[in-house]
Amino acid sequence: MGKSKGISVSPKAIQLRLGIAACLIAGFLTIVGIPGWVSSPSNVSNIVLSPTFWPYTLAALTGLTGFGLLLASRTASPIVDPEMAEVAAAAGWVRLAGLAVIMVLTMFALPRLGMVWTSMIVFAVTAFMFRTRHPIVALICAVVIPLALYAFFAHVAGVAIPQGIFVRLP
Amino acid sequence: MSFVDSLMAGLSVVASFEAFFALFAGICIGVVGGAIPGLSATMAVALTLPFTFSLQPITGILLLLGVYKGGIFGGSIPAILIKTPGTPASSATILDGHPMAERGEAGRALGMALWASCTADVVSNLALILFAGWLASFALNFGPPEFFALILFSLTIIAGVSGDSLLRGALSALLGLLLATVGLDLVYGTNRFTFGDPNMMGGLNFIAVLIGLFAIPEIIAMAWNPTAHLGKARALGHTKVSFADYRRSFKSIIRGSFIGVFLGSIPGIGAAPSAFLSYSEARRKSPNKENFGKGEIEGVAASEAGNNGVAGATLIPLLALGVPGDVITAIIIGAFMIHGLQPGPMMFILNVDIIYGLFIGLIVSSVFLFIVGSVAIKGFRFVADVPKRILMPAVLVLCIYGVFAVNNNIFDVGVMFAMGWVGYGMLRYQIPAAPFLIAFILGPLLEDNFRQSMLMSSSDPAILLRGPITWFFWALTLITIIAIVRNIGKRAGA
Repeated sequence: MGKSKGISVSPKAIQLRLGIAACLIAGFLTIVGIPGWVSSPSNVSNIVLSPTFWPYTLAALTGLTGFGLLLASRTASPIVDPEMAEVAAAAGWVRLAGLAVIMVLTMFALPRLGMVWTSMIVFAVTAFMFRTRHPIVALICAVVIPLALYAFFAHVAGVAIPQGIFVRLP
Repeated sequence: MSFVDSLMAGLSVVASFEAFFALFAGICIGVVGGAIPGLSATMAVALTLPFTFSLQPITGILLLLGVYKGGIFGGSIPAILIKTPGTPASSATILDGHPMAERGEAGRALGMALWASCTADVVSNLALILFAGWLASFALNFGPPEFFALILFSLTIIAGVSGDSLLRGALSALLGLLLATVGLDLVYGTNRFTFGDPNMMGGLNFIAVLIGLFAIPEIIAMAWNPTAHLGKARALGHTKVSFADYRRSFKSIIRGSFIGVFLGSIPGIGAAPSAFLSYSEARRKSPNKENFGKGEIEGVAASEAGNNGVAGATLIPLLALGVPGDVITAIIIGAFMIHGLQPGPMMFILNVDIIYGLFIGLIVSSVFLFIVGSVAIKGFRFVADVPKRILMPAVLVLCIYGVFAVNNNIFDVGVMFAMGWVGYGMLRYQIPAAPFLIAFILGPLLEDNFRQSMLMSSSDPAILLRGPITWFFWALTLITIIAIVRNIGKRAGA
């Protein structure tokens, strides 16, 4: 299952890219991230008890792993596994971008429209973006499933589901 | 408290219609979830988790355990019928299960899968009952240095054995540990990567991270290729499994069950290696070894026994030590935490009623699994027909509700979406997600025990090697690293 979702690049390229990414993450954390976003009291008696010690240790280990990946990439196969190979389709990238936009808009819509109405729209838009072969069923599910989940969480589990500012449900 | 007293205490919490109904419903959900390729037992457990918030602790945990056990068996149904494992652990079942389906013996293969699964499940549950209490009483002697060494060993083995590459596993675990540092510092209470946002001061929500890592990437993968799931299901055929088949495969089933119990009780190994080891041992010992891979029923029995033998055993380190044995038990640990329970040796003293209630529920689960599995085999046609392009939007909506319900916080939904993209990136670059999640859970424990050890010893690192228990775990860690490096060397040389 996982194999078909791989990328059509060689193991060598994967190791190389991951190695570079790990080194960049480690470098960024050491130079910018930890000094800027981890605060430590000035009276820490020993370095190993400092709030920064653990993040620095992990950043160093990430850098080491990155170097390891870079070294491993030198001996990794440059040939693309035919099972991993997939045709990069422009439509796939458009759908990925579309899903990212849906997620961002969901975050904006949840407090304004409420969870039920937002979920209905998200369901319908996502199903049509996935090119469903059952549009009527998709629309029915888009209405019924968010309502059923609202009924369970709001009335059985006692969760205060956001109602939004337009239409409120009982 | 005597064994009988503990048993009675367990019965008092579990002997209710709700508890057994939750267990039964969990197994049904798990079988269906495991049977749908792409949904997986892990995702089924993760999606069921929010529904346990309003339940009694024992009822909620039994629901999740039911999903877990049902999901592991359910994964074998599509493995046999459409050559697509519902869970990674069912991959070994394909080797002989699908050739049997191709020659019209799918019903027989599925029947054997069910019988072997239920037998292994009983063996695994008995092992849990026998060993968890003993291990917990031993673990009562553990202090912070011992727990630090134990967690470090668990992380080493989890990073080393999940996935094709030790380095990618290590990277995954390190990223999980880094993410776990977000929030207020455990000792000084200062901010770490919180960016002044109060939502991040308690750390990132565990359920948002896990659902983001395990459910959302499947939805994103469907956006990338909406037709990747389409396959052709085989008919069940008219032949059924017989008692003679079961008797002939019995040795392999018992051997596979013990392999599952042994590997399952070691944190991080999981069901897939156990299924393959059980299968290869059965092939090595069988008089019909030349039929393996061509549709040998003993092969199906062995792989399913190895696969299901793990299910109870992974709960041994969870209940006795508080260390999750695999990803699913890492999710189940979340259910314990939500209900204010901390798995580990103290739970055998403070919550013995819940522990024994779980044991009783697990024994009953094997019977339920047999009943539900028998029906599911016949009903797979309907499960396979569920349109994935409607199912995935439903999963997305369920994720939104479920993650919000944990803390009534929309910020958590954003965390889930962000982690979904991280998980999808990891999927595409073949970085295993299991070490990330388990490291995210164990990270605070690892750091906390390390710093407590340092406080106890006035920062003398020698405390980390203070006695036989720490030596034992350090030695295991070293042996694991050597074994993994040697394995890599062998693969590179081949």
